[in-house]
Amino acid sequence: MSYAYLFKYIIIGDTGVGKSCLLLQFTDKRFQPVHDLTIGVEFGARMITIDGKQIKLQIWDTAGQESFRSITRSYYRGAAGALLVYDITRRDTFNHLTTWLEDARQHSNSNMVIMLIGNKSDLESRREVKKEEGEAFAREHGLIFMETSAKTAANVEEAFINTAKEIYEKIQEGVFDINNEANGIKIGPQHSPSNPALGGGGGAGGSQPGGGCC
Amino acid sequence: MAFLQWRRFNFFDKEIVKDEGGQVFDGLKGIDISVCASGRGQILFLNSLLHYEGNIHFLNRNLELSTFKAYELRITHLCQVKQQGILVTVGDDEPGTNPIIKVWNLEKRDKAGNPTCSRIVRAVPGKESSPVSALAVHENLNLMAVGFQDGTVVVYRGDVTRDRHSKSRVIHHTAGAVTGLAFRQAAKVNHLFVVTKDSVQSYNLTAKDHKEELDAFGCEPRCSVLSDTSQDNQFVIGRPDAVYFYQTDGRGPCLVFEGEKKTLQWYRGYLVVVGKENKAMPRPPPGGQSRDMSIVNVYDIQNKFIAYSAPLPDVTDVICEWGSLYILTGENRLMQLIEKDIQTKLEMLFKKNLYVLAINLAKSQHFDQDGLVDIFTQYGDHLYSKGDYDGAINQYVKTIGKLEPSYVIRKFLDAQRIHNLTAYLQSLHKAQLATEDHTTLLLNCYTKLKDTNKLDQFIYSKDKEVDFDVETAIKVCRQAGYYDHALSLAERHSQHEWYLKIQLEDIKDYQKALTYISKLGFYEAESNMKKYGKILMSEVPQQTTELLKRLCTDYRPSDIPLADEQTLQGGMPARIHKAPADEFIHIFVSNSSKLMEFLEHMIKVQPSSPSLLYNTLLELYLHDMAHDGSQKAELDRKSLDLLQNTDAHYDVNQALVLCQMHNYKAGILYLYERERLYQQILRYHMDHDEYVHIINTCKKFGGQDPNLWVQALAYFARKEENCRTQMMEVLQHIDRHNLLPPLLVVQTLAHNSTATLAVVKDYITRRLQQENDQIQEDERLIHQYRQETEKMRSQIQELKTSAKIFQVSKCSICNHPLELPSVHFLCQHSFHQHCFEGYAENETECPVCMPENRKILDIIRAQEQHKELHEQFHHQLERAPDGFSVVADYFGRGVFNKVTLITDSPAAPPPSGVNPFGEPPELQIKPAAPKPASKSAAAPNPFDDDDDTSNPFLAESTNPFGEPESTNPFGED
Repeated sequence: MSYAYLFKYIIIGDTGVGKSCLLLQFTDKRFQPVHDLTIGVEFGARMITIDGKQIKLQIWDTAGQESFRSITRSYYRGAAGALLVYDITRRDTFNHLTTWLEDARQHSNSNMVIMLIGNKSDLESRREVKKEEGEAFAREHGLIFMETSAKTAANVEEAFINTAKEIYEKIQEGVFDINNEANGIKIGPQHSPSNPALGGGGGAGGSQPGGGCC
Repeated sequence: MAFLQWRRFNFFDKEIVKDEGGQVFDGLKGIDISVCASGRGQILFLNSLLHYEGNIHFLNRNLELSTFKAYELRITHLCQVKQQGILVTVGDDEPGTNPIIKVWNLEKRDKAGNPTCSRIVRAVPGKESSPVSALAVHENLNLMAVGFQDGTVVVYRGDVTRDRHSKSRVIHHTAGAVTGLAFRQAAKVNHLFVVTKDSVQSYNLTAKDHKEELDAFGCEPRCSVLSDTSQDNQFVIGRPDAVYFYQTDGRGPCLVFEGEKKTLQWYRGYLVVVGKENKAMPRPPPGGQSRDMSIVNVYDIQNKFIAYSAPLPDVTDVICEWGSLYILTGENRLMQLIEKDIQTKLEMLFKKNLYVLAINLAKSQHFDQDGLVDIFTQYGDHLYSKGDYDGAINQYVKTIGKLEPSYVIRKFLDAQRIHNLTAYLQSLHKAQLATEDHTTLLLNCYTKLKDTNKLDQFIYSKDKEVDFDVETAIKVCRQAGYYDHALSLAERHSQHEWYLKIQLEDIKDYQKALTYISKLGFYEAESNMKKYGKILMSEVPQQTTELLKRLCTDYRPSDIPLADEQTLQGGMPARIHKAPADEFIHIFVSNSSKLMEFLEHMIKVQPSSPSLLYNTLLELYLHDMAHDGSQKAELDRKSLDLLQNTDAHYDVNQALVLCQMHNYKAGILYLYERERLYQQILRYHMDHDEYVHIINTCKKFGGQDPNLWVQALAYFARKEENCRTQMMEVLQHIDRHNLLPPLLVVQTLAHNSTATLAVVKDYITRRLQQENDQIQEDERLIHQYRQETEKMRSQIQELKTSAKIFQVSKCSICNHPLELPSVHFLCQHSFHQHCFEGYAENETECPVCMPENRKILDIIRAQEQHKELHEQFHHQLERAPDGFSVVADYFGRGVFNKVTLITDSPAAPPPSGVNPFGEPPELQIKPAAPKPASKSAAAPNPFDDDDDTSNPFLAESTNPFGEPESTNPFGED
């Protein structure tokens, strides 16, 4: 499948906040109530359309466990967007946001678009973190904010797509250097401009390998 | 940490491989195995490096071992191509030289039974020699990669089995030794993954060996493997902290399986990882030296669980062959891991209530639908028992089509579970497997839930195929009071009956119902109008009438254009349907004005309508006329028009009854007249004592029925009051037409006490005068006739008795003086013989008298014939104003006598100039004889001869007075 851009996302946040479920909902449009712990880093992809352009989202779903942190950190690099997820029914997950944010900022490029997501909005009765608090946190740290429910699929699409839009705008503004893959953005095979820098490594700069194999 | 890994199951059974005799297979004992490979039904073992033997051992399915020597010194690597019998090996024949690559064809054996070597090539990385550290052969046998200790990778292109056309090229050079190589083919693009101890790269061999740096760390030898399609042919490397997956263009997921890895192997969707057991052996085997323990983990990457995990002593290698997994352990023991069958696995999962996993597993193993349904059912049951009804129903929904729906429905019949039940039923309908009962239930659910939205969706969704029983749905909606839905359904599915029933009985929107009917086809519209016409009429009379009018004339559904396509294209126009109007009359039972309108319309449009219509219309007119004074004149005119309309097919008798019932004079009279019942007209007037009309009637119809006058007279005569003028007039008429014998007139009038003599005086006088005149005239005639008769008698007598003198001087024909020979007749005519012969038709008759005689004879003959024609007689009798005169006439003509013509005997010619009336009624006529002396017998005169039996006055059979009285004008009272 051809695409104009490929954006790499990373989903981070405490364990059990629903990162994998968000991904599953976004890629497979289903919800699995019983979900095993993510061991390591999982991976999902989906095509979306922004501004009439096909954009492939490559999403890295990381384990939230502290013990996996060292491994997951290596995935921060080269992500254009990050979904920082907390659970609105668990205050501690909200409290850990700062740590996560620091971690993300430290290990990724500075232009990375971060979306703050308060998940499990369907469990209103068990809410511990007010929406306003989330909004305030996002405002304070320059994040986009949204409350979602992976169970009911509320706002899930929007969360991913809005992030992509933000990245797309940044590209248009020239904030991202789209030729630097470390930014987590890749130009689709047939869209790639005649830029020899892309072909850089192995041989005489040809087209990119593989294309849409995943 | 214990929980930071996947669930662990025991999906494999470990068995020690045994030979046929059931003995533990120990054929490998004593061989130092360094590397293994498998393919095409054989497992290959290399001899260990340590003993410098260079042997290759084959082990076939029957555990038969065969060996051949491939290298003089040693073998370091081997690669068996899966699809073909090609084996590539790397080894040394002499110490200190470059390693040699040998390609063996296992299909072709030499005399000693060893495989033939088809290619030998030296493996040289570049300028410096270096030991080979990795080997990979592409399945297409056109690519071969060799990795060296010094970090060089050489790719050989071209046919692997031959030297010719084969080119080699160094594509990679890094500092560390190459630890793993793998070819990956996707579409027509070939990639080579190269892993060293601290890097992972991919090379696109199709696109100029384009290099992609995948990661900055690598793995140990034998710790990399290419996954199969279930994991997108990703390259997998095992590191102590985790297992990493790589696409050709970047890093993929990673799985944290901690521990130092020894070997990675891919087996049918499973990743087999052999790691070093960190813990020391809990207890050293008795008397044995302590050995390294390995731990074998079999991961199901897709479904994320550990399929098998067990510590095994000192695992050398893992081999996939013969459909299962073999593990070569220390002391060259061969273990087999036998995968449990899917049913057993599922059972295990069920026991742990891991249904989701079971489902995923079943799906990934392409489990058949029935099996999946079983799982869904069990999962549903499980969730149900846990009280997770929403979840349960989700599972049950997946069973639709296999599982008996009632099984599920029964569970959710509880009122609180109605939401779930609804969801289930909905899905059932979507799958088009719902029965009537299900539809009923679903609709009931909707109605119970008051979920109008859903109901709307269910009913109104137009693009959807109908997946439920429409009639049931209508019924349920109706019962639940969702009339609109029921209506919509009925309309959409042409359930006209239901539509109308609901519209009329429940919603009571008569207008709509009517509109609906008007859109139906003819037959439906007709039957429905018959059915619901009454109620419609009572509610929306105007429109109903309009519709009925259309229905009975040239009905076509209102939503069909006037000229349909067929007609436009010149085809035959659709047959025009007409409903019989009389069948709809009962509909108007309570609305006579509409009925009137309807009937008028019908009659106007279709004059040939059945009589019932006319009758009814007439009745309506009359009825209204009787009860509604305001429009009397109008109605009067209308009804009379109707009656007088020649096209109107009303039933006269019924119309008459109607007119009489409503006392509609004009109608009654018209009908009487039409039926020529003049008597009735008269009677009618008499009953109403309308003298003027009586007289008029008599005047008008007296010509056709003179009796009217008589009756009028009798009527007036009976009247007690003074009606002299009328009486006078009547009498005048009677007189004029001579309708009654005066005696009867007087008799009639005698009944009346008021009628004075003055009334009849003129009449009587006149009558008497007439009588007198008549008598005188008659007497005169009698006298005259008598005289004539007398004269004739004497003549006859004379002819009979006295001689006749013929003294005629002239011939009666030529008027010349007579000359002999001459012929003389008694009639005093004489002729020349030649004149007579020239003119006479026969010799016996006088040509002069003959025409006259002939005439009389004809008359007599005719009378004789007439005698038989009784009918004519009666006819004349009836027609004649004076019957008696007819009888007298006949009598006079001798009709009643027996007259026989005797032609053979000679008779005297009759006297000329005889008045037929003066003729004796009975006469034996004989043709005149040529001789004057004819002997004719005179017939007896009836007037003289009373004895004659043929006297008509005696013969009853011919008595005209014996006729039926009805025709006798005197028989009338």
